[in-house]
Amino acid sequence: MKKLKIGGLKQSLELCQFDLRGPDSSEEIASKVSTLLLYQKINMEFLTYYPNRNSYHQLTFCISQDKFFTTSEILKKECSLPIGWEINSRGHVSIITIFPHQSAIKILGVIMVSWAAQSIPIYGIATSLSAISFVTDYHLIDKATEVIQDLFQLPEDHAPIKPEIRYYQSDIVKGD
Amino acid sequence: METIAVYWESRIKTYGFQRITDLALIEFSCPLSEIKLLGEILSQGDLKILRPKFIIAQESDHEISFIFCLPLEEGENFHASLEKTPSLTNHRYIYPVSIIFFYGPHFGDRYGIATATFSTLSKAGIKIIASGCSSASVFLVLAQDDIDKAEEVLAETFEVAK
Repeated sequence: MKKLKIGGLKQSLELCQFDLRGPDSSEEIASKVSTLLLYQKINMEFLTYYPNRNSYHQLTFCISQDKFFTTSEILKKECSLPIGWEINSRGHVSIITIFPHQSAIKILGVIMVSWAAQSIPIYGIATSLSAISFVTDYHLIDKATEVIQDLFQLPEDHAPIKPEIRYYQSDIVKGD
Repeated sequence: METIAVYWESRIKTYGFQRITDLALIEFSCPLSEIKLLGEILSQGDLKILRPKFIIAQESDHEISFIFCLPLEEGENFHASLEKTPSLTNHRYIYPVSIIFFYGPHFGDRYGIATATFSTLSKAGIKIIASGCSSASVFLVLAQDDIDKAEEVLAETFEVAK
């Protein structure tokens, strides 16, 4: 059978995930938590926020694995989160981003089916205009990638799937 | 392997704000044990032709909850299809909603983008219905009536590159 073409595929570095859940609050949790992390210069590489769920609100985000301890400490501090909010965290996750040319919903469905068959979990999804990002276990990232490569046709001149450069923002500004 | 990127901007630069209006938001959840079935539903039959403008999924308590934003007519059909699927739980169907989204250089690698976004909207009293930030993009789902105000205040925080 002819494989569906996709525009690209890439993996992230090793990340960790935090799920914050709690009742409705007068405080804007996304604003509050992102500001707490900004003070420590921690980048949120992936974020989903849905404050309207029936029984609770949820903010999920992924950051670099090496910031796991610092972030846990920040969030556990008294007054970091509104009353009733709970923190669940998961270390050693990664993001696979796929760039579908078209048929995004079909590609999403096919990946869900194929990963489920291989016991590859999905901890989060977010789309942008041209991409679908999946959060899964870091130790399964290569297996998850192989499943996608078996299912879809990548361009011949495809860029490397694994990240070759780690970017991070410095706070040192020359000439300032 | 490491590259230090320094961005020193009095206002964070973005490539510009784009919006998509007249959308329906559908929220539903499915037990993690049924995710394969949900994948089959999405990849086969009539649903595979849907053109969602935005999707997020969050996992919690052995369930995965999805938010789909679709053009109004597609949203109606999608919602009706989900209601016929016993293993899925429909939670919410909101319309009309709008999306405002923007990209910027290395947004995915830099701290401070989320704070600038959420704090700006919070200070303006604009409620976020849903949001997803991945790669170098920020997507915000808002009530349709809030979209003009949101772009106005975000354009004060972020600088649109010329």
